[in-house]
Amino acid sequence: MLRFVALRVGRALLTIALVVTFAFVVLRLSGDPALMIMSPDAPPEALAAFRKAWGLDEPIWLQYLRYFTAILQGELGQSFRDGRPALQLVAERIPATLQLTIPALMLKVGLGIPAGIYAALHRNSAIDRAVMTFAVAGFTVPSFVLGLLLVLVFAVQLGWLPSGGQESWRSVILPVISMGLGGAGILARFTRSAMLEVLGQPYIRTASAKGVPWHQVVRKHALPNAAIPTVTIVGFMVGTLMAGAVVVESVFSWPGVGRLMVVAVSNRDLAVVQCILLLVSATMVTSNLIVDLLYGVLDPRLRGTAPAGGGH
Amino acid sequence: MSEQVLPAVAAPPKRRVAIPPGVALAMLWLLAMVTIALLADVIRPYGITAMDLRSRLQPPVGFGGGWLHPLGTDELGRDVFSRLIESIRMSLMIAFGATIIAAVFGTTMGFLAAHFRGWVEQAVLMLIDFQASMPFLILALSVLAFFGNSLPLFICLMGLYGWERHARISRGLAIAANAQGYAAAVRQLGAKPLRIYLKHVLPNIASTLIVAATLSFPEVVLLESGLSFLGLGVQPPMTSLGNMVGYGREYITRAPWIMLSPCVVIVLTTLSVSILGDWLRDRLDPTLT
Amino acid sequence: MSLLSLEGVSRVYATRRGLFGKPVPVRAVDHVSFSVAPGRTLGIVGESGCGKSTTGRVALGIERPSEGTVTFEGATMPMPGTPEWRRMRARLQLVHQDPLGAMDRRLTVAAQVAEPLEIHGIGDETERRDRVAALLRDVGLRADLAQRHPHELSGGQRQRAVLARALATDPALLVADEPVSALDVSIQAQVINMLTDLQAARGIAMLFISHDLKVVRQVSHEVAVMYLGRIVEQGDPEAIFADPLHPYSRALVSAIPVPGPRRIERIVLSGDPPNPADRPSGCAFHPRCPLAVSACRAEVPQLKMAADGRQVACHLVEAA
Repeated sequence: MLRFVALRVGRALLTIALVVTFAFVVLRLSGDPALMIMSPDAPPEALAAFRKAWGLDEPIWLQYLRYFTAILQGELGQSFRDGRPALQLVAERIPATLQLTIPALMLKVGLGIPAGIYAALHRNSAIDRAVMTFAVAGFTVPSFVLGLLLVLVFAVQLGWLPSGGQESWRSVILPVISMGLGGAGILARFTRSAMLEVLGQPYIRTASAKGVPWHQVVRKHALPNAAIPTVTIVGFMVGTLMAGAVVVESVFSWPGVGRLMVVAVSNRDLAVVQCILLLVSATMVTSNLIVDLLYGVLDPRLRGTAPAGGGH
Repeated sequence: MSEQVLPAVAAPPKRRVAIPPGVALAMLWLLAMVTIALLADVIRPYGITAMDLRSRLQPPVGFGGGWLHPLGTDELGRDVFSRLIESIRMSLMIAFGATIIAAVFGTTMGFLAAHFRGWVEQAVLMLIDFQASMPFLILALSVLAFFGNSLPLFICLMGLYGWERHARISRGLAIAANAQGYAAAVRQLGAKPLRIYLKHVLPNIASTLIVAATLSFPEVVLLESGLSFLGLGVQPPMTSLGNMVGYGREYITRAPWIMLSPCVVIVLTTLSVSILGDWLRDRLDPTLT
Repeated sequence: MSLLSLEGVSRVYATRRGLFGKPVPVRAVDHVSFSVAPGRTLGIVGESGCGKSTTGRVALGIERPSEGTVTFEGATMPMPGTPEWRRMRARLQLVHQDPLGAMDRRLTVAAQVAEPLEIHGIGDETERRDRVAALLRDVGLRADLAQRHPHELSGGQRQRAVLARALATDPALLVADEPVSALDVSIQAQVINMLTDLQAARGIAMLFISHDLKVVRQVSHEVAVMYLGRIVEQGDPEAIFADPLHPYSRALVSAIPVPGPRRIERIVLSGDPPNPADRPSGCAFHPRCPLAVSACRAEVPQLKMAADGRQVACHLVEAA
């Protein structure tokens, strides 16, 4: 078990290191930082001085090492727009984003999983078909389209809910629905197919043939086994919440990390972008790690074995 | 495999395939979209930047507008129908280009991993894991922030989406073919690796790769429209579906039709490709997920 | 002068037990030496897992020997994948056990038979077409089958097509690895006869690998019996079949079904089937050998010349 945990943690750290490397490579490929930050017609002496000050005249591997250690120490640079530390700028926005992402995740899980289980247990019923249609819609309707349609109906036409801003609890409703509804559909579809797969297994038939009441078969045998693939999807959704926030926060002018990302990208505020990139990858890697460890709890067969090398 | 069970002497009779109505509708819609994209210049009644300041914010036919502008006009009096046609062309072009880039790049990486094994394979697998474990939207936004935006760069960036799916498939199938069977036999005949992979392995796994491409195509459409909606994808004066939605959003109270028509096209197109892709997958390769 | 010769060839694989187990070296082939003269056939027999297929692959140059050398036409076998290695493929060819798996299911028979000609740049378009037609005729395939795909052929026809492909570049040596074991018995004989006829007509040397003694006896000028990676007896097929010297050969020969009363008592081997990962000490055959003595457990018997010029590796057989 210890080896299992160590392997997974090592893998997670490796991914973070890759993201840092990615940021470094992209940063260096995008051009000479001296020219980008100073103006192109700055005097050559000034450029040289800038390069010296930032260590840009050193060999590339040394720059990479410096960059890496700086990030390890939490030095993520300053926003060149208002000069404040990027980390602080991002941290201020996190609560607003959590206000949307946590209810959205609850909506996905609270609606998607029960709907999927119900659909699997009542296969080919009207509700099953409704759930499947809903799931396809969840995949094909992008969140910004859904968000705008909701605004059009509930804010513009009916006037029930605000179309944006962060004034009251009612401003949360539309963004959360547009962020979570599609994911609920996708989750319902996964849960349904995981349940159907488990229900087709011989041990389920054996248990019900032995005379165990059906609801007990479902609770004791089917649900725990179907939970394994479902947990993976939920874990992945936790990681991608931030990506969803980018679009939805823009639709609803919500002052969160996602909106900050879009503004920073338009302004090419590289320190802020890099900081959010690292924040998102850390979230993603952590949720993947938790899923991996949960796997070990849910499926004892996986304990002590090595990762299968990315084959799945 | 069925061929081994059959008394394989005569050619198997060609079965006619019944196409379900949903799939037929999806095919029709996609055919219409491709036709529109190809003939955009002929169909389009107005130029996409042609302004008609006397008829600004005209509603579409059926909502009080006239046939002069069937889908209405925007704030500057530009014809929504013409802009929509041009946007369909742009969005489809980006999605096709990106899907093809992803397929070529991914398949090449998969073949390289399968051919060299060892550290090359490990490096490719690490890249695959990295790509699969990061939300692509965030990576794409970072690259856009660092490099700025231009159409070729944007298409290439979208082309990085979904390559890992092709890489995984082609690596797995090429390893299987190399271990035993036709690829090993041809190698034994003295063929160079390029010939083995291009003439034998690639055609044999093409159907699986095409199905994989139909899975990523709608995702690329959504990604492109999302980025363009945020104003970070296709830049004016060029227009794409997401771009139109982003622009129409400003007029959601006064002229919702500007935003609605591209929304409908986005949803119907991704829906059609998904239906078609699911159907193809069931027919060609049920093992693929 | 021999065409192909193997000198003290071993092939060792490292297999892991479990994901983190220590790699265990497995000797699939252990100190095997033999040579094949032009136009002659050496048959290799043994149970599955005795290393005969690996021997074939090493002889063919697809795998490198871990120890020892493989010499073909007077030169050491080049590294697989090098240009010299690829050029050499025209001279040695493999006839596969599974013809359907060895063919590209999307290409016609004609296209596949023409492929080695294209690869090695032999002839132009029309010459290749004529050559393919001639090859198909030689292996007894009707001309109209040329445009068929592999799955539209019968098993025997597929094997003929694979053979036509192998013969396309006029090789000096064919390695036939269980070429007929996937076929019906009635078709086996046809394919075997065709193979020997073609060999005689073209002067091709052959390494014929099979678990089936009857077939090996029919085609071979010389036979090598393998057990757990080593050759235990080698010599003239008629002599070996009439009077097998090694106890293992004796058991194999006794297992051939014969009409009428048996001349040799049927010997049923006891003990575990051989496992190359867990090789017994001394003579690998001793746990199953009815005649084993203490020396057999301690010392590996070497191949020695026996009375009639045969070579046998057994402590109980007197050297000549």
